[in-house]
Amino acid sequence: MRVACRLERPLPLDVDLQLDGFTVLLGASGSGKTSLLKAIAGLVAARTEPWSGAPPQRRPVGYLPQGYALFPHLRAWQNVAFALDGPHAEQRRRAGALLQRMGLSGLDQRHPRELSGGQQQRVALARALAREPQLLLLDEPTSALDAVTRDQLLAELIGLIRAAGVPALAATHDPHAAALADRVALLAGGRIVQQGPPAEVFTQPASFAAARLAGIRNLYTARVVAHEGGQVTLDCAGLRLRAAVPPWLGGSEEVGVAIRAEALALATGDGSNTFTARAVAVRAEGLLHRVTLDAGPVIEALLPAAVTAPQVGDGLSLTIAAAHVQLFELDIAADQPSAPAVASRSG
Amino acid sequence: MSAKRTIAALGLLATATLALPFAGLLWATPWLRLHYAAGDLGALWVSIGYTLLALVIVVALGTPLAWWLARHRFRGKWLVDALVLLPLLSPPLAMGLLLVISYGPYGWVGHPLQRAGLLLTNTPAAFVLAQVYASAPYYVVSARAAFEGVPRELEHIGLSLGRSPWRVFWRVTVPLSTLGLAAGVALAWVRALGEFGIVLIVAYFPQGIPVKLWVNLQEVGLDAVYPLLWTFFAVALPLPLVLGLASRRQAIY
Repeated sequence: MRVACRLERPLPLDVDLQLDGFTVLLGASGSGKTSLLKAIAGLVAARTEPWSGAPPQRRPVGYLPQGYALFPHLRAWQNVAFALDGPHAEQRRRAGALLQRMGLSGLDQRHPRELSGGQQQRVALARALAREPQLLLLDEPTSALDAVTRDQLLAELIGLIRAAGVPALAATHDPHAAALADRVALLAGGRIVQQGPPAEVFTQPASFAAARLAGIRNLYTARVVAHEGGQVTLDCAGLRLRAAVPPWLGGSEEVGVAIRAEALALATGDGSNTFTARAVAVRAEGLLHRVTLDAGPVIEALLPAAVTAPQVGDGLSLTIAAAHVQLFELDIAADQPSAPAVASRSG
Repeated sequence: MSAKRTIAALGLLATATLALPFAGLLWATPWLRLHYAAGDLGALWVSIGYTLLALVIVVALGTPLAWWLARHRFRGKWLVDALVLLPLLSPPLAMGLLLVISYGPYGWVGHPLQRAGLLLTNTPAAFVLAQVYASAPYYVVSARAAFEGVPRELEHIGLSLGRSPWRVFWRVTVPLSTLGLAAGVALAWVRALGEFGIVLIVAYFPQGIPVKLWVNLQEVGLDAVYPLLWTFFAVALPLPLVLGLASRRQAIY
């Protein structure tokens, strides 16, 4: 399903999306995700394709805003029945069946305030499905869920939506959520900067903006120094790295480089792409250590816990597979590597 | 004395001051000699009947206006705001004179209406007219605040569930603003029922409770006001008191 949308206010957006199953729209906060969803639902003035010019009540869209917006004065089943027509008993029965499909049997009579965040979300989903929409819109579906159960609840939610057979567009700033999706679209600067299956988008970001949204913190511009045998050698602010030659390289002299923190490993020998760096900051993350290093450029590595944890000031020998040094074309002037994280670390 | 106690003492003092006239009424009422003066009961029915009618008109006119002000932004909205507040800010006597100027037998609205058979001086219609002007702004201000208290998002969801704006208004907005709307009705009720200044000038007849109280005071003396005064409180206060207390404790949702 294709959805296009252009709006001027509250911020300019011009977006063309291909939806496939559960599609995640990844964008930083303030990038216009909520406005885009509202525009598609007809709640913000915009030109949209399909349903151009139709008022919200004539768009077959199910909208789940952040916080779900259940009607506080209605019971769970009455919330679901809001969109249903027909005799009272029939509405009651259909609402009950929808709640049961969402795994909410026995909660029909509860008011929203008597339900947990995850339960409220599923009541909102049942309510949205009741009007038999052609598209579901979800705004930050994980924001009101607690961290412990978030991934599980999201996976269940996606399962329910797939079972309902309705395409869904979920806006979020959380790259974790995107990993579960059928398709990912990255929104930055009012445009879709990249879209495709998550595996493709996360391993081959097309620009700094895309890489940043995909959660990659190590972003650099690098100079091509040598080019032979299917590999290029790059000078990345003093750090020499080798990477696979991308098909578009041609005669480019400068390229963008993205390195995932988890792609770096402690080196055991002197292979290629091995370098030493001094640890500047160390933070434990469960069984891993997030180590910020000065390797010429500042670089962040997510290392498995060793017998002894790395200390600030330690010199570490690190390595990275050439395949994990991701390159992309530098094209537009606006595309700068000045990710706030990189800038603040080097400053 | 601690600051907390000082504040409590000052609060009690202020409460006692405000309550003093009511305690005085309880004290001064000649309970054994209490009886209605001639025409008192008539005044009671005039007040209740016409105030109810005025309320219906106030709600019918005021609700769409309050909704418009709560939910729409437009150029010159400040002017509409000011016009709504004008009758509320005008001294009752002045408001009564204004009504006479426009709706009186020689007024630019009153004259044609009179030729059409609707006399707006000293008639039930004039009485209701005076009450509408006395109470409508209070209802509009309360109803507007009540509508503004309903999250827009809930109305948006109602629309996106395929319901018409009209149906969303009745099934989402009204239920969620009931308490505020009821408080507005109660306020309008007590203002309309108790209006003296405007009514005195526009409709000396038919006599409702306020004007009748004044007449009793003038013609007989203070003794003649007690029965009607108690009746007035019994009729006017329960609704706004209950709703006022309920909205103070508002935690329905």
